[in-house]
This record gives sequence, C-alpha cells and structure tokens, in this order.
Amino acid sequence: MQRSDRTRWIVIILACLAVSLVSVAYPLYVIRPFRAQGARELAAALLVSRFGPLLTAVSALAAVAAAIAYWRTQAPGLRRTLVAASAVLVCVLAVLARANVYEQLMFHPLEHPAFAAATGVKVDSDDKLIVVKVNGSARAYPIREMGYHHVVNDVVGGTALVATY
Amino acid sequence: MRDVDGRRLTFHLAGINNQNFLMRDQETGSYWQQISGTAISGPLKGRQLTLVLSDELTFATWKAEEPGGMVLKEAPQYASEYEAKDWDVRMGRRPAVIQFPEHGMQSRDLVLGIQTSDASRAFLYDRVIHEKLVKGYVGAQPVLIVVGPDGQSVRAFRDRIPGVDGVSDFYRLTANKPGVLLMDAATGSEWNFQGCAVSGKAKGTCLERIAMLKDYWFDWRNYHPKTTIWGLALGQPRQK
Repeated sequence: MQRSDRTRWIVIILACLAVSLVSVAYPLYVIRPFRAQGARELAAALLVSRFGPLLTAVSALAAVAAAIAYWRTQAPGLRRTLVAASAVLVCVLAVLARANVYEQLMFHPLEHPAFAAATGVKVDSDDKLIVVKVNGSARAYPIREMGYHHVVNDVVGGTALVATY
Repeated sequence: MRDVDGRRLTFHLAGINNQNFLMRDQETGSYWQQISGTAISGPLKGRQLTLVLSDELTFATWKAEEPGGMVLKEAPQYASEYEAKDWDVRMGRRPAVIQFPEHGMQSRDLVLGIQTSDASRAFLYDRVIHEKLVKGYVGAQPVLIVVGPDGQSVRAFRDRIPGVDGVSDFYRLTANKPGVLLMDAATGSEWNFQGCAVSGKAKGTCLERIAMLKDYWFDWRNYHPKTTIWGLALGQPRQK
C-alpha cells in the first residue's frame, strides 16, 4: 500500500475523532447548570445533541474501518498503536453521545412511579406537594421527591400527563 | 398532558436552559422547555403541551380535601438523596445566571405568576402570604389570590361569581370556622379554600380556577418579558 493511502486513513480517523469530540463536548459545554445560555448556542447544542448519536456511530464505523485498513499495512509500532487507540476513542465517544448526563449522573429518573393512599403514607403535614385532580382522581407529588426526579410520567384519571418541577 | 397528535410521549430530564429544565421525549427526540411546555428543538418544534391545572399545597391541606387521593411514593434507592422540604428556599441561595434587576427585584425572589391571554403578572410570594387575600387584575382578568388556612398553600380564582353581575367583593373571615375562609358581599355566601360556596345564596357555586406558577423572578421574567409586578412598595424600589 502506498504511503499516501496510509495518510488518507489517518486523516479519516482524525476527522472522525474531531466530529465525535465536538458531538459530545459541545452540548456538554453549553447545556450545563450555572452557565447563561444564548438562544443560538442552545439551538446549536440541541441540534448537535439530536444528531450526535448518529454522527458518532457513523464516525465510529468509519474510524474502525480505517484503523483496520491502516493496521494491515503498517508495521507494528507506535503509529499503529496510536491509530488503533484513536479508533477506540471514537467508539467510546459514540457511547458517550448516547448518555444523558442529567438522568444518569446528576439525577435519576423514576421509571416506574408507584403511589400510596394519602391516608397511609408517611409525609409531614407541612410538606409541600404539587397536586392535580383529573376526572375525579386526585394525585400528589411531594416536592422533596420532585426536586430530585424533576420529571414523572403518569396517567391520572385516564389522562396521560407529565409532572415537572 | 403528554398526548400530542394522538401520540403518547414519555419525557426525560435532558438538560437545562438558563436554569429552567429541558425535557426530551423518547418518541421523537424533541426537546421541550419545562416552564412553557413548548418544544424548542426537534420534529415537534413549536408544539405546545396542554397545561393541567395544578396546585402547590401542604400535605395536611391536600389530605383534608382529598382523603382518597394517591401520593407518589419514595423510591427507596434514591430517598437519601431527596431534597429538604424547604427546597425552594435553599435553591434561593444559589446564584442565578441571568438577572432582571428592575424595581429592585432579586433574581431568586419567589413570585406567583399568572398569565392570561393578554397579560402576565408576578405577585410577590412573601407579600401574598402576608396579605392572605389579594384582589387584582392581570390584564382584563379580575383575579383573587387566596392563602389557605395553613398559611402556606395558595390558590388563584377569577374574581367573579358565576351568575352574579358585577364585583363580588370577597373578604377574609377572621374567625376560625372550619371549612370556611371567605365571604362575599354580593351574595353574603361563605366560601372554602377550594373556591366553592358552602352556604348562602351562592351555595354550590364554585369560582373559576386560574393557573398560577410559583417561580423565581428571573425565570418568570425571562419567559414573560412584559410582566407587571404586584407587591412592590409604592413609589420606591423594593428593599431587601
């Protein structure tokens, strides 16, 4: 294989690495607490978030293919190891692009919310609750819990709703 | 509500926008702003969730009203991480990333926000709790904000008695009479915290509820740039 071919594989891997890094890092940088966000940068970050999983998956496939091609033609050594490591890094970024930091690190979702009768539950009398009544069904979401989970998908009185806090 | 175009959406916490949460629905991948219920990115961009009327009440008040109600149970694995009961006060000490210092307002001042079709207004929470009964307008809408018998729960109503012309003129009863909070001059009826007349000419009538959001000033003001404020000291900026 020509030297120029090997250079081409390296360029492809580096391009995939750059795309994946941006796909993961840019939304993390923009969408974080205690930082003011402008409308444009937020829109861009959300766009990257939406397409990041696809972009990084394609990048991972391309990087792995390029690394294999490079590996087969390049003698063992530091360069070959670096190329392989870069491809692995692109794969790791593809996994990270699918992570929801807010649900997996900062808070945890309530996948299967369970409920207890008001008369039998242990809640302090002065605890605050977000309450709704839909089609005769009364539901209460204690703020102590909502301040942690923030989002609860529920069905009350036959109506699907999302309680947020 | 989370049914949009006949499709049921499942929401996840997905980020933050100037300290107001973003949600993402797993069906379309669209991002939704918590405070407005509006999709701001993705295939459903521009769509609006229908607001379900809710209250923020103490457990004692709610349980007395709804003894058959159901309460969200703690998830044992996360219970140790749950917030303190004065969560909003604790959060009030955190810095805010956007500022709207008009009229001496502090970013983390708590307000009760009401939005109508033509106007929005922020009622200072501390003042409402102190006054216990607030009569005012949000645009052309006459509103009545009532603090419950526990001194902490708050509800808002349209300040007109259905079927009765003119001003209703509610006032708060000072005597502690169980289940009764207000009386109105127009019909001489007694009203409870749910906004329903329990005695008098209007017995059985309920006032129309108005949605109200307890929020920090910076967040309310960010999404309601033309909001007016109720509760400022007359003629001078608010003193902290």
